[in-house]
Amino acid sequence: MNRTGHYVALALLTLAGAAQADSIKIALTGPFSGGSAPMGVSTRDGAKLAIQEINAAGGLKIGAKKYTIDVVERDDEAKNERGALVAQELSSMTDLVAVVGTANTGVVLAGDKFYQQAKKPRIISVAAGSAAMGQWTKEPTVVPKGELYVFRFSANDGVQSEVIIEEAIKRQGLKKLAILADDTNYGVSGRDDLVKRLAAIPGVEVVANEKFSIGSKDMTAQLLKAKSAGAQGLFVVGIGPELAAIANGMGKLGYKVPFMGSWTLSMGNFLDNAGAAANGAMMPQTFIQEDFTKRAQTFIGAYKAAYKVDRIPSPVSAAQGYDSIKLLAAAIEQAGSTDGTAIKNALENLNKPVEGAIAKWTHPYSSWDPAHPETHEAFRKERVVVGVAKDGHVTFAHEEDKKRLESLDR
Amino acid sequence: MATSTFSRNQVIRGVELLALIALAVLGLVLGQSAYAVGLLTLLVIYGISLIGLDATVGYLGQVNLAHAGFMGLGGYAAGLMVAHFGVGLLPALCVSILIGLVLGGLLAVPALRLEGPQFALATLSFGTFAVLCLNELESITNGAQGLSLVRPALLGKGTLDAQTFYWVCLALLAFVWLGARRLMEGRWGRAIAALKDSPIATDAMGIGTLRHKVLAFAFGSALGAFAGGLYAFNLGFLQPQAFGYELSVTLLLGSVLGGRKTVWGALVGAGLVVLLPNLLSNRSVFLAFAGIGAVLAIGRALLAMRRRELAFPTIAPALAMALLLGIALKTPDLESWRKGLFALILFAVVVGLPDGLMGFVSQALARLVRLPLPPLPTAAPLDAVLPNRSAGGRPVLDVSGLKLYFGGVRAIDGVSLQVAPGEVLGLIGPNGSGKSSLVNVVTGLYTPTEGGVTLDGQRIESKGLLAASRHGVSRTFQNLQIFGDLSALDNVSVSLRGAYRLIWPLVAAGFGDAEERAAQSHALALLELVGLTDKARIRARDLTYSDQRFMEIARALASKPVLLVLDEPAAGMSKPDVAKLKTVIARIKARGISIILIEHHLDVVAELTDRVVVLDGGKEIAQGVAEDVRRNPQVIEAYLGSAAHTEASA
Amino acid sequence: MDFSIFGQMAESGAAMGMAYALIAYGFQLTYAPSKSVNFGQAECVMLSAFIALTLIGTGMNYALAVGLTLVAGAALGMLVERVAVRLALQQKNEGWILLTIIFGLFGGSVAENIWGRDDRPLPTPIPADPIAVGSISVTWYEISIVVGALALMIIIELFRRKTLLGKAVEAVAADPEVAGLMGISSNTAISLAFALSGATAAFAGILIAPITTVGPTMAAGLILKAFSVAVVAGLESGFGVIVAGLVLGMLESLTSVYIGSGWREAPGIILLVAILALRPNGLFGKATVRKV
Repeated sequence: MNRTGHYVALALLTLAGAAQADSIKIALTGPFSGGSAPMGVSTRDGAKLAIQEINAAGGLKIGAKKYTIDVVERDDEAKNERGALVAQELSSMTDLVAVVGTANTGVVLAGDKFYQQAKKPRIISVAAGSAAMGQWTKEPTVVPKGELYVFRFSANDGVQSEVIIEEAIKRQGLKKLAILADDTNYGVSGRDDLVKRLAAIPGVEVVANEKFSIGSKDMTAQLLKAKSAGAQGLFVVGIGPELAAIANGMGKLGYKVPFMGSWTLSMGNFLDNAGAAANGAMMPQTFIQEDFTKRAQTFIGAYKAAYKVDRIPSPVSAAQGYDSIKLLAAAIEQAGSTDGTAIKNALENLNKPVEGAIAKWTHPYSSWDPAHPETHEAFRKERVVVGVAKDGHVTFAHEEDKKRLESLDR
Repeated sequence: MATSTFSRNQVIRGVELLALIALAVLGLVLGQSAYAVGLLTLLVIYGISLIGLDATVGYLGQVNLAHAGFMGLGGYAAGLMVAHFGVGLLPALCVSILIGLVLGGLLAVPALRLEGPQFALATLSFGTFAVLCLNELESITNGAQGLSLVRPALLGKGTLDAQTFYWVCLALLAFVWLGARRLMEGRWGRAIAALKDSPIATDAMGIGTLRHKVLAFAFGSALGAFAGGLYAFNLGFLQPQAFGYELSVTLLLGSVLGGRKTVWGALVGAGLVVLLPNLLSNRSVFLAFAGIGAVLAIGRALLAMRRRELAFPTIAPALAMALLLGIALKTPDLESWRKGLFALILFAVVVGLPDGLMGFVSQALARLVRLPLPPLPTAAPLDAVLPNRSAGGRPVLDVSGLKLYFGGVRAIDGVSLQVAPGEVLGLIGPNGSGKSSLVNVVTGLYTPTEGGVTLDGQRIESKGLLAASRHGVSRTFQNLQIFGDLSALDNVSVSLRGAYRLIWPLVAAGFGDAEERAAQSHALALLELVGLTDKARIRARDLTYSDQRFMEIARALASKPVLLVLDEPAAGMSKPDVAKLKTVIARIKARGISIILIEHHLDVVAELTDRVVVLDGGKEIAQGVAEDVRRNPQVIEAYLGSAAHTEASA
Repeated sequence: MDFSIFGQMAESGAAMGMAYALIAYGFQLTYAPSKSVNFGQAECVMLSAFIALTLIGTGMNYALAVGLTLVAGAALGMLVERVAVRLALQQKNEGWILLTIIFGLFGGSVAENIWGRDDRPLPTPIPADPIAVGSISVTWYEISIVVGALALMIIIELFRRKTLLGKAVEAVAADPEVAGLMGISSNTAISLAFALSGATAAFAGILIAPITTVGPTMAAGLILKAFSVAVVAGLESGFGVIVAGLVLGMLESLTSVYIGSGWREAPGIILLVAILALRPNGLFGKATVRKV
């Protein structure tokens, strides 16, 4: 080949190299099996929807080049020690940019320390236990100002219990309540929060405080104790299958009282397994599968089309997974690099609003302050509505909640 | 083909050393990745746990589903020690070991009498109960929410980083390996193997099933608890649910996969169990392994088909591996089939390679590499092993008014007899006359319904096999009860009374060699007595039938009895062997040991016995010198059923 | 007031106890002729329940679906015997314990991949509404468990005692060698026993599904309890399992309300270990004599 030929070949090769898409890795973790699976699967699928949209548009713009997002999936099976192993593995993956997901508080508690140590940005998309953020506010694991890499994108149980207590006490006027919570970190954390808040309200009494384990199907003992103590309503904290067992147990005993609790009462496996017994259950929600805003409609349509389902297994998880990715993507582009610290800083100082499925997010986070853990929490009380279970799906319990969300969106 | 176990042991030991060195090298090479170090540490920890599990699964041959429970208990014990009292790593682990020993011993007591599925159930119950307690005692353990832990320094304040912790674990593994190896290669291991092959003979030879079963289980559980302590600190997190049925099954299967009775097997099993999930996420590597496995299994089946030896143990693994490969090729997400793929591999190994992967490999290696065996010591003089007994004095055995009823069946219906020191008493009678029942009572297997048995001045009728043996009676069995897995030499040496006096910590530390050689030399003397010197190293199950019978006699003498019961020793023997038997019995008699001889070969009875007792229908019908008894009309009628006076031929 | 709690708990405990008794009965069926049980029975219960779910989902008649599920359960049982048990029996060792565990592991994985890992309700024509009996609430599901379990046990007992095939199985149970000499193949008899055991497991799955829902872990704890019942009654005790099942079920239930719901498994386990230690042949079993 003559010299011109050489130069042409070289030029072609360089072009070819440049045209090849570069990619970055993001990990999606969560329970993809077991009773928590609807949450994990929905989070993952919602997140992947966002990732597909980004990749279809050419990818993330980091610096001068565009990068597609490669997904690394890990199933933590809702088991804490598996979560710790997954976190250990992912935090030592040097080419992994960030981690999104996780539905179980215990898993977060067991694993997040690895991400923090490795300075890997991490968004908790679903897990609600306040301890997940609380661990960074006090000894021995307190993190000084501005140095936390863990963010939460879900309504924590403090916010949730505020909302649901308001529903029970103010709206429905209940005075004697029973609490049934599971014995996991989530259940205990949620129960403690409820007890603390209810104790502060005069005239209201917790007449029974019962617990159950994951896998229990027979709640007769706990329900009988609540009934014989004269409870006018039940607060439940748990996940789908066990909540269904409670609802069914109430049906068996003919014990019909207001039944409300953790947001998990919206899970598909609760609604399906409790059947008619689920109707009337109320729970705090950040997202409801209804076309109440344009963005909700778009998201729901896209999800249904992509995954060929009629009902999203856990609409809250799906929407939060989607929006987590949107926020993360915005932060990466703003940082202009894949460096963990740069991304963290960008997340804390997002200068452009991000269009999500739940809302248009404007500066959701600020610089970490251990005295104010809400700096790394995206959801405040006004974002949370009350949902009610009806014939196999969840809808708005109160028209004014729907209107409020619509107005927040303008 | 007779396989000698000795060279195999040496080969295995060498490879185990290599495995440990390989682990050390890996630790150095992969030191930078926290995740890799975490995995390696987990491998080492599981290795320690599986060495412990091997005591019940490999040596006792039982299915133990409590091991995960012990790991949990050990983990929480160590974790709580550190969390509440701030002790260092080593003291915390000592507490774990103690918990494992004590609870393991306690569980062994009810489990002790059980076999097979009942034992598995008892252990399953314990494991479930342990997790239940850990979960419910929230005030102590924090229940289902779990306990967060830091890695304490060896002795006190401060923490260990992941790398150092790995070296600590590896060192502990080496420590455990050395100790376990010494114990298991010595008399303890042999006693446990004997226990598995024949619990009845183990008691009858005075070794003691109860003792060794409890010790094996306690030892294994202590190691499990120890591993649990390390496990807790490796992960930094404890949760009761982690130690449930699933983990017990995983450990069990890891043990079976790796192979019984080798540390190498324990490490391979541990490796597979720890690394399988990671292996599955790398599709091409897994497919390669699956492909190789399938080719090997199918190849073996095809070979067998050519030789027309096709049977379930060769077809089934081939089918399983083919199914494995099929699933692996068709599924994009191997992780979702993790349990199923693991099950298929296990099935292929359990059915096709009953000694596990490493058992198979080490057997193959032993065939290829023939190492010279270390020489055996010279046989001790017989006087040192089996002192002459003086004649005269009170009867060695006194049976009075013995009755043994099984519901309506009167096996023994009022029998009294005595055996003088140095006497050979023949016990004959037609089938079902009560001969075996009588000796079973005398040796302690059955407790009589009525009557007494006095042995060397002691009443022993209700004390059981072990006590009877300790008081000086020993026996051979009509249906052989050899310790098939042990060599002829080991069958005898494990039964030697008074030969092993060193406590086990000293044996584990390596001081047992002198004692071992002395025992071997004593055992050789006994083998010489029965003419089996050059077959000493052959595995008992590979001996010829007659040799097995002779070996049982040598073994019975190892407990230095005053009374030896020979239950049809000539049964199934050829004429030359019967002649040899007569010589052996004569030699034993010459040493002044009393003998009860059950026999149908009337020439043996005639030549060797001083007196004969004839039983029929549970009662004695004649007694006297063999010649006279042979002509007794009642005796002839009992055997032949008619009053015809035919000369009973020999 | 207190009696109504006691009564309610005893009632729901007794109903579940019958389910344990049914599965325990299935264990006895295979133990008699072969001295073996299927340690993977939980997965067989689960697989059969999933098969029922699929069949009912096609819209076919419920009774037909149940019948076909029983057949499927029987087929599963025979598969277990052929693949996991027969070899060990031929080798006269206890390898079947491990092999049935492995079979269960594989079965569980198959179920997860075909039907997913979620808990799902089993459509059933049995109404969900409870009936009030005094101050105690009884559901039709619980009644169906008791009636169904008893019915199936009686049917199988009749089969064993009255039909030739059933008696053949008994013969093998009593003395396999002699039975073989009489022309009764012990392989066939044992295979049949496992088929029957598989059918009881399938039926148990259908009966308990309205309460436990159909899912990968629906029978997990159940098997240990059924084992406890079988061993406490005695592995050859016949209808003794009904008594043991009722007692164990009620003990469990009462423990959960008076001591704590997490402790409900404890009495069963303690009872099991006590029986194994003191009367290994069970409360209603017969002692055996060692022969040397």
